[in-house]
Amino acid sequence: MGKEFCALFKKDCRMLVSGKFFLMAIGFLALYTAYVNLGYIRFMQMPPYNVYLYDPAGTQTEKSPLVQIVSSVEDMDAALLADANGVGLDASSGDVRVVLYKGAEHVDRHRADYALSLLRPSVSPAPEVLGTNTPEQKARKEITCELLFFELAAVGFLGIAAVLFKEKGMGVIRVHAILPVRKDLFLLSKLAVFLLSDLAFAVLLTLLNVGLADGAAVLPAVLLQTAILSLMMALVGLLCALLLKDFRQFTLAYLVIAIFAATPVFLSANTSIKFDWIGYHPFYHVYMGLKNAYFRMSVSPVYYIGAVCAIMLLFLVVRLAFHREIGKEG
Amino acid sequence: MRGLKYQIKSVLQDKFCLMTFLLPILVAVALNFMGSIDLSSLGEMHFGVLESDLSPQTITWLERYGPVTAYGTQEELTAAIWEPSTNVIGVRADGDSLRTAIAGDELDIFQQAAATLPALYEQRVEAELVKVLTLERPDILESFQDIFIPAVLIVAMFMGCTFNAMNIISEKEDGVAFINEILPMTPSQYIFQKVVVGFLFGSLSSIVTACICFRLSWQNFGLLLALIVLSSFVAALIGLFIGKLSEGLMIGVVYIKIVMLLFLAVPILCGLIGASGPLAVICNIVPSHPAFDGIMALSAGNMGTAVKDVGILAVHCIVWFALYVLISANHKMQVTL
Repeated sequence: MGKEFCALFKKDCRMLVSGKFFLMAIGFLALYTAYVNLGYIRFMQMPPYNVYLYDPAGTQTEKSPLVQIVSSVEDMDAALLADANGVGLDASSGDVRVVLYKGAEHVDRHRADYALSLLRPSVSPAPEVLGTNTPEQKARKEITCELLFFELAAVGFLGIAAVLFKEKGMGVIRVHAILPVRKDLFLLSKLAVFLLSDLAFAVLLTLLNVGLADGAAVLPAVLLQTAILSLMMALVGLLCALLLKDFRQFTLAYLVIAIFAATPVFLSANTSIKFDWIGYHPFYHVYMGLKNAYFRMSVSPVYYIGAVCAIMLLFLVVRLAFHREIGKEG
Repeated sequence: MRGLKYQIKSVLQDKFCLMTFLLPILVAVALNFMGSIDLSSLGEMHFGVLESDLSPQTITWLERYGPVTAYGTQEELTAAIWEPSTNVIGVRADGDSLRTAIAGDELDIFQQAAATLPALYEQRVEAELVKVLTLERPDILESFQDIFIPAVLIVAMFMGCTFNAMNIISEKEDGVAFINEILPMTPSQYIFQKVVVGFLFGSLSSIVTACICFRLSWQNFGLLLALIVLSSFVAALIGLFIGKLSEGLMIGVVYIKIVMLLFLAVPILCGLIGASGPLAVICNIVPSHPAFDGIMALSAGNMGTAVKDVGILAVHCIVWFALYVLISANHKMQVTL
């Protein structure tokens, strides 16, 4: 049985190489790494609001060094127009007047009060820091987690299906029906190939983007979550390949995943917007499992039990579909 | 004309293919009826406090700056501050003053807010007396919601690209492409047939999506129609290019993904960061940018920009079409030689 599995495994690897699957994965790895290191880290910065003070008489003597002095009202207007999040303080008439562009109500109040507080800075105790991550580490972990999820759930999934459709089109399944090998080995070798390639991808993506020390620390937990997601996606990909007529039909399934599955999950998991119904979204739990692995937070055992059950159930369904397909071909 | 009939017939028989075109419409309906998602809370501060720790007045004061959530135990509060997806600032009483707690991984703006909150609390009485002049913000998106609708429309408009590319690639894989080479059919007939199918369905799907999402005057609708027709045409042409350039399904999928990613990312990023000057001009190389820009301009009632964007899309149509004709004429010459 081991020999048969090895032969199938080798055949699947060759198939992926000829389908340029690995080349595509390396290409996406390079693209993601370039995006994280050259774009995202720079983009995800939000400095405190700039405060511009017009004070011709020099009445504000205690002001903080964070306040920028402007020489005229026109200069202040120009500065605010260029930096709509900035706050202007006009002290020319004796009393200080706050000028700012309208934004969200709560934020506007805070901007105004913050700007005023800079005129009379007081020494207040520094905030207590509870976590260990720096903003850059957080940004790196967050984006790496998103990209890994996207790669496995959308790009990898598409790759899996493309390869399987090719195999189906070539009549490999039909040939398999008469081969003296255990039918499950066909499915298991596929799962093993995709699992290994996804794990290798996860290792490289994590080490390149989270950093060597940080990445190595979270890697075991990340690999466990990657394995769960990879197995699920490979099984869904197999199921699509077995049930759908051709690859064109498959693009629809892919679009549904990309739009309906990923967007609400990303919004709920990464921002303060929380949907009430997100708990019913299966991808949300898988994504949170991956995210918790990156941020070294505990994952509930119920999730693992659920994931194992889901994988087993999917495997059984795929097995059924595969046998049905063999029966049809035979 | 008969060829076209066959093309449309094969599309109509393919239910999944029809569903692909219906998908943007479904998303538009969902966006329209599910109610708007409140994205304005993204930049807001959130505060976490312990139950019965702060006075009701202090909590009311904190609520001026953002929502306050009370937690039963210190562990729950710490977990909320730790939670990487939010920027919760923990606040607790410290005599007459306040003390704040953060996770340390927040953006600078939130860290600074946490650091200065006690000072703001000390000066709260004086701050209320100061006059605040709020100016209307010029040329800024009302909310992120406005971006969703044009994004869905862009997907609808450029759906023809995916469809055409997949159509040609599957023809190649089935060997129909070789038969096409020897059929008594001129390159222009071939281009016409292929473009029309993607174009027709792409435009139809976009028009329905637009009708669901937008309430426009007739004049504006005319401009929107021009934008839709032109961008669907460009998309159908780009689909032909992808089909022509890719040797197999895998490569085709990669090309489509890159093109779709570019089509969505470029206009949305430009819209979010407010690109202007040479950068905005360069972005026009991606045909979805003028389409997106035009839709945004139309919803803001800015006719001049919309007309300019229609012009840019028309140039796109001519350039892509000429390029395709040139390449296929070249290919035909090589085949006959």
